[in-house]
Amino acid sequence: MAQTTTLTLPPKKKIPRKKVIRNWIIVAFLVAMYAWTFSSIGINWGQIFSERTLNNMTRVVPQLFSPEWAVAPDALRLMGETLAMAYTGTLMAALLAVPFGFFAAKNMFNSRIINTSAKWSLDAIRAFPEIMLALIFVAAIGPSPFAGVLAIAVGSIGMLGKLYSEVIESIDMQVVDSLEANGANKLQILFYGIIPQVIPEFLSYAIYRYEIDVRSSTILGLIGAGGIGMMIQISTMNRNWDEVGMALLIIIAVVTVIDYASSSIRKRIV
Amino acid sequence: MTKTTANPSQGSFDPSNPPGLRAQQAKWKLTFVFAAIVLVYMFTSWQTGSSLIDLWFGMPDVWRMVGELFPPNWGYATETWGRLSETIQMAIIATTVAGILCIPISLMASSNIAPNKWVYNITKQIMNILRTIPDLLLAVIFVGIFGIGAFSGIMALIIFSLGILAKLLAETIEAIDKNPLEAIRASGGNTIQVIVYGVIPQILPQYTSFTLYVFEINVRASLVLGFVGAGGIGQLLQRSISFFQYGRAMMIIIIIFVAVVIIEYISGKIREEIL
Amino acid sequence: MIEFKNTSLVYPNGTQGLKDVNIKINEGEFVVIVGLSGAGKSTLIRSVNRMVTPTDGELLVDGEDILSYNGRQLRDLRTKVGMIFQNYNLVKRSTVMKNVIAGRLGHTGTMRSILNLYSNEDKSLAYHNLQRVNISEKVHSRADELSGGQQQRVSIARVLTQQPKVILADEPVASLDPPTSHQVMTYLRKVNKEDKITTLVNLHFIDMAMEYADRIIGMRAGEVVFDGPASTVTEKTFEEIYGRKIREEDMVGGDEDDENNG
Repeated sequence: MAQTTTLTLPPKKKIPRKKVIRNWIIVAFLVAMYAWTFSSIGINWGQIFSERTLNNMTRVVPQLFSPEWAVAPDALRLMGETLAMAYTGTLMAALLAVPFGFFAAKNMFNSRIINTSAKWSLDAIRAFPEIMLALIFVAAIGPSPFAGVLAIAVGSIGMLGKLYSEVIESIDMQVVDSLEANGANKLQILFYGIIPQVIPEFLSYAIYRYEIDVRSSTILGLIGAGGIGMMIQISTMNRNWDEVGMALLIIIAVVTVIDYASSSIRKRIV
Repeated sequence: MTKTTANPSQGSFDPSNPPGLRAQQAKWKLTFVFAAIVLVYMFTSWQTGSSLIDLWFGMPDVWRMVGELFPPNWGYATETWGRLSETIQMAIIATTVAGILCIPISLMASSNIAPNKWVYNITKQIMNILRTIPDLLLAVIFVGIFGIGAFSGIMALIIFSLGILAKLLAETIEAIDKNPLEAIRASGGNTIQVIVYGVIPQILPQYTSFTLYVFEINVRASLVLGFVGAGGIGQLLQRSISFFQYGRAMMIIIIIFVAVVIIEYISGKIREEIL
Repeated sequence: MIEFKNTSLVYPNGTQGLKDVNIKINEGEFVVIVGLSGAGKSTLIRSVNRMVTPTDGELLVDGEDILSYNGRQLRDLRTKVGMIFQNYNLVKRSTVMKNVIAGRLGHTGTMRSILNLYSNEDKSLAYHNLQRVNISEKVHSRADELSGGQQQRVSIARVLTQQPKVILADEPVASLDPPTSHQVMTYLRKVNKEDKITTLVNLHFIDMAMEYADRIIGMRAGEVVFDGPASTVTEKTFEEIYGRKIREEDMVGGDEDDENNG
């Protein structure tokens, strides 16, 4: 074996200059980002690794895992309220999102101004977390499930409107064209040509959004907007972590069931 | 015989089951579903005090509130900078930690890599449970343990994003080409070498994309963690609203909006580039 | 030396993979195993590096029974017994070099391999093996940029980089067209002769088996039904092994520059 004495190393890999520069920019950016993050974040390590934390840990964690069954009826009632809030809000959003969806769909309105302004307003709504909207609604109309419903209704329009517009853009336009050729008016085209094509997908997306809204409405109560979150807020203030544990257990169970039910219904629809 | 075949429609006609009946049935079904949706709505809107009547009477309050939010207190913007950076820093740290932790967890949660069925099922179930717990609820719990501050928020974000990342990544790992893994095993590679040489190169683009996606989610989530005392700009928003300083509140809302839009734009562009 | 002693294998679902196999393969031999699909060729080959584990009997590699191996011993065995697959089994998104250097994994510590710290000897060996199969110009290409034949050559280079004493090739040309198949078989044959590596190849093309093998082993239903030098084999022998008449699909046809794809 001659090659044991003379090594033939593979030629160096040629990396294009542009790629080298790009890689260095990425590295520099990452270094700068982490340097900035770790140099300026204010974490009070003394507070975190303190005896108090240890005490909290030994009190909070065991209590969380031994739920207080006495509050189960209350928690279930409030969970019911949460589900109702999510339902009312999602349904309102599902209806309100329809015009947005049509305005944003290119094949419905052949106007860039209408399309983009509808798309932008949908994107704008999506940028706001629901709980932030809830904070404003609570300030406006007082702490109540109503504030939560409004937050969900407004907050869900963004995503639903966007998904609706995608559904509308993917429909079979030949049906619409042939109805038009038969002399149908705009409203007839809408009801006979478009709506039947989009209803299953619209419904499926609304159900999917309900799934999301159930999760988010469980926490709206933390800032006074009704539902099981209210119980969690009160229990944490009173440091009754076993009650929080109960609420948590119910949330996990109900959310799991809703997710499962929702996905099996959606599978049947589409 | 030629007659009957010449007129097939006659043969298929059945007077007891006229055409259109199936359509009729579908119509009934649709009406029933529609009625059920409306009935449930009537009940839930009554239960939550948010019927159309409530909406009618509540709207003036909402509009008054919107009016009070304007004009924003532009001068306040400079004072929010520190909290805004904290928000983004929390998201960066949480995404980094979750991005590292999710690798071993997702390997254990993928049926083709997990050492055995037990590890696979247990990890997967724990991740499923984690995903059902809302981020803010985790924050409440961590605030209860570690006290008020960014650390509690970071912990909440880590746990929250771990559930999402591990699921997405495990699905990707389960879909990889397993032939190369067989080859590496057949050449004497151990499990870690199989992962590093066979699994990781195959999932790297998706991994980067998912991590960026989770970063977006974490930024949004960390904006509101302050509502429960877990650090970030949310704390300022809550304070200004409870002190009726609506101009300040609006300023924060604008800043949040701009921050979210910028970060999602950048992250979206990078993700497009990768995949 | 590889020796099967009354070796049998029953899969958990009850399928009999191997049935009382007794063969002895000498060092440096080029053995082709033929049989219909499901005859147990793959099981036989994969037993040698314990990708499957026989349930009965003994299987000696260099005089040691490998059936009880696990952990470190098993990885050492696999380091010494290389394997080539029908679908090349390269990591498609990795470069050719990275795929070939992966042949050193069994010789390299976990930490070193993670950090990509290979010695110049290892790198040189990998590159030299790429040169031997005439694909060194693709060293920095990604594996998915290569054609099937090129990928199979890379996988030969990977196996050589492992510096094995035995090479197992499980249907190495089943996914290739006839000219490329001949090329790959020629390389395998060359390596076998030059490095004296014992080579076991599964094939189902009879003309190829006769052209390249020193010795042919025929299998049917998990049993060895023929074992003899390639020179003694005729079409009649194959008809006995297959239990039916020879058909056109049993031939790869063509030679190195034949355009006919049969």
